[in-house]
Amino acid sequence: MSGSGAAPSRAGLPVRPVLAHAEPVMGTVVSFAVLPGDLPEAELWSALDAARAVLHRANAVFSTWDPRSPVSRLRRGAAQPGPLPAAVAEVAALCRAAREASGGWFDPWAMPGGYDPTGLVKGWAVDGALAVLRQAGLPAAMVNGGGDLAAFGAPAPGQRWRAGIRHPWRAAALAAIVEVRAAVATSGTYERGAHLIDPRTGLPGRRAVSATVTGPSLALADALATALAVGGDAALEAIAALESYDGYLIRPDGSETSTGGFAFVPTGQASASEVTGRRPAPE
Amino acid sequence: MKTAPWLVLAGAVAGFLGVLGFHRPASANALGAAAGPTAAARASVPAAGPAASAPGARSAATPAASSRAPATAAAGRATGPIEQYGYGELTARVTVSAGRITDVQLPVIRTAEQYSQQLASQVIPLLRREVLAAQSANINAVSGATYTSQAYALSVQAALDKLHFK
Repeated sequence: MSGSGAAPSRAGLPVRPVLAHAEPVMGTVVSFAVLPGDLPEAELWSALDAARAVLHRANAVFSTWDPRSPVSRLRRGAAQPGPLPAAVAEVAALCRAAREASGGWFDPWAMPGGYDPTGLVKGWAVDGALAVLRQAGLPAAMVNGGGDLAAFGAPAPGQRWRAGIRHPWRAAALAAIVEVRAAVATSGTYERGAHLIDPRTGLPGRRAVSATVTGPSLALADALATALAVGGDAALEAIAALESYDGYLIRPDGSETSTGGFAFVPTGQASASEVTGRRPAPE
Repeated sequence: MKTAPWLVLAGAVAGFLGVLGFHRPASANALGAAAGPTAAARASVPAAGPAASAPGARSAATPAASSRAPATAAAGRATGPIEQYGYGELTARVTVSAGRITDVQLPVIRTAEQYSQQLASQVIPLLRREVLAAQSANINAVSGATYTSQAYALSVQAALDKLHFK
């Protein structure tokens, strides 16, 4: 790191510039936006490095593409070269919690090919990276793991983080805008390689073309978004019963529904034509 | 592959979205090596809009624009930074007149391989229409985004920030 202190710490600048970074990892690009606040330069950079390292460690343990990863070995019943990393048990516990919370619509143990926690791991890793930034004392940050994101603090004084939810059919249109209080995860059919398995049949299937879940934990929101995409309205009922989690789904026929607490940002008339205004109240 | 550098971005004041991007070294990169823009082969994609003609296509950091006197209402033209996405990179140039976005062009679009190029050529005219319709998407990120649309939105927003367009 060639540091040099750049502009940020120079006196006279009222606000240090925001840092942005894109990290290719876990088969996607994870982007960071970090407000440095008053954090000393050295602490700032070590926090950022530590946050990146969290993502790469998660990838090394959980990659289902790398045959040498502990989880790949687990999947094919191969011997582990050493003790399993503690993260494996931690994620398995989260997966059990997510299976229960989703009413069974998220079930890593029902995947063809064996235990596959992928639907939760990306969110879990992003949670971990964000926690590092928070613990370092940064005032605000957002980490976006290829469309599943989490944030804390305010992007600017008096402002809140906002995320657009991609429209399932129209490339750059937004289906809605949501205030990011903590975590937002979206599962949609339009992404490359999306191949969701219905745990009840073991076959590909889905009852929503776009499924978004918000809540305090991105690990759980990520898993629940997968569940919502597969289970549709039935999974939304399970999510509605959870404290501090909310869901929003678009059905294959284009109709939409959400739980009552979903933090939609009202859209102005400028974008009303593209951002659908319909917000059916939950029954 | 070398990891992309952390970048210090100066645009923190004018709205936040532009900041989320994968802003490349153009100038202000004091930190880390200015890693190359990944292995994106150049490929020109059929013009995105009516008069796109992709003039000197490429010149990455097209000078920050000919902003003609933004008196009070935003007006002028600005080019966003190069946004990289999973399969390529692009830059959006936005024209604003009387407080409305009147045009979006892509002076730079490079894709890594054939498939992405096809995808881009289908998607980009769509994106342009959507942006014109939605005007400015005042958001920090996109949930469930494909790489292409996210990069596009980021570059458009950064260009709007230069014009102080809200």
